[in-house]
Amino acid sequence: MDRDAFLARVGEYHKEGRRLALINVTTSVPSAAPAHGAKPGAEAPGAEAAAPAPETFEIVWAFENDKDHSLETIRETVTPADAVPSISEFFGAAFLYENEMRELFGLNVEGINLDLQGQLYKTATKVPFSHAAVKARLEAVNAAAAAKATAAAAGATTEPKA
Amino acid sequence: MKRTTMPFGPQHPVLPEPLVLDLILEDERVIDAIPTIGYIHRGLEMMVERVEYTEMGFVAERICGICSFMHGMGYCVSLESIMNVEVPERARWLRVIWAEISRVQSHLLWLGLGADAFGFENLFMHCWRMREEILDIFEKTTGGRIIHSVNRIGGVKRDVSDSELAAIVVKLDELGTAFDATARVFAKDPSIRHRMSGVGVLSADDARAVDAVGPMARASGVVMDTRLSGTYGYDRLDFEPVIETAGDCLARVVVRMREVTQSIGLVRQAVDKMPKGDGMALETKPRGNPTGEVFTRLEQPRGEVLYYVKGNGTKNLERFRARTPTFANIPAMIKLVKGCELADVPNIILTIDPCISCTER
Repeated sequence: MDRDAFLARVGEYHKEGRRLALINVTTSVPSAAPAHGAKPGAEAPGAEAAAPAPETFEIVWAFENDKDHSLETIRETVTPADAVPSISEFFGAAFLYENEMRELFGLNVEGINLDLQGQLYKTATKVPFSHAAVKARLEAVNAAAAAKATAAAAGATTEPKA
Repeated sequence: MKRTTMPFGPQHPVLPEPLVLDLILEDERVIDAIPTIGYIHRGLEMMVERVEYTEMGFVAERICGICSFMHGMGYCVSLESIMNVEVPERARWLRVIWAEISRVQSHLLWLGLGADAFGFENLFMHCWRMREEILDIFEKTTGGRIIHSVNRIGGVKRDVSDSELAAIVVKLDELGTAFDATARVFAKDPSIRHRMSGVGVLSADDARAVDAVGPMARASGVVMDTRLSGTYGYDRLDFEPVIETAGDCLARVVVRMREVTQSIGLVRQAVDKMPKGDGMALETKPRGNPTGEVFTRLEQPRGEVLYYVKGNGTKNLERFRARTPTFANIPAMIKLVKGCELADVPNIILTIDPCISCTER
């Protein structure tokens, strides 16, 4: 991401009197396994031959205009190695979202005005929305669904005739 | 001067839920406060990975036992927006009615907790007795006192007959009269004023600077209420947000008291304006799987809640995010606690009406 252009745009929103409504992160998980919710075997033909997509996060910053209730968003796609600049110099409340981005997603957020040093959340899984953690959970979900489907199919074939 | 670090929570007499603050003190004055909000984090947002979108609403309403109806409503409104589902008019009005009744019960709950925190147990009992009557209304109309499960993507599951709605209005009017007497104690009692007036002052500029929401912002003179956007039927109601300007603990109490009376009036208006009759459509079934994203904002009792929902065409959402009002008000709470006396910390924290269950979604 272009750090200077990003911060300039955030600064403009701050000058306009907008307030920070939300910073959201979505973990984009490329996987050879079927997408969760899709039936096993429903992948597009040739999907297994495609080059693996990079592991990325999509970040959305949403700013609200209190007068007309409109939301303006900035959207960036980053990799785990990218540095994400903090916007807490403009919007003081951003520190909470940014510490969350670090602790739950493992993002490299730089320059937070109140750096909680990893002490904001106490979670059983460290970095629960990292690509590795999300992939592991999705694989477990898909494996459980496949096992259930197999068991159901076996039950159907062994059902006694009336 | 020597500094001392004092843990506030997770167990504290004034906290019904485990908020954790490390207070840095110089003598009795708070210099800094470091929050920890993961003590009971449940990972509910993560459940979209294994719970289908049709079932996820039941998870959403379990984010919180006080705002459960509105969490369910916010989730359903988000999905309806993504999937272009038109909600029948009567169902929309029923949602407004239940939402405003939720606000009444939430504020009564909080007023009781506030009274208990500053040692006014009798007032606590009065508030919670009135709240029980609201829970009775919920039980009668939705089948549940805390978790209602009445929202569906596309509408609501249950109707409330016109005669029942008329009876609810009468009941709420009686409750409003009884509440006026209790509210006078909150507003006039010298010991309450002494404890709350001039304590924990958040100026309007500071409220804007820390992006405070809900009664927290409105008690500081900031005109901010998601209902002003006019969505979900509020454009057809005579509605002006309750604003106070003192910005102190007492102002936050007064805003919530006035909102109890206001919400009773909004229920009355909604019942008057909604289409009448039995057997009207309550639900439009959604088709297919959600694709796309949406930001949905509702005014919960504690302030604006914002849902971000992203669907990828499968039965499972790609992302469900709930930014709850308590999460948004934590920076304001930290700002207020800095510089105050240690003895005022419980009252200041309580007057943001913290819902840790919401925050630890």
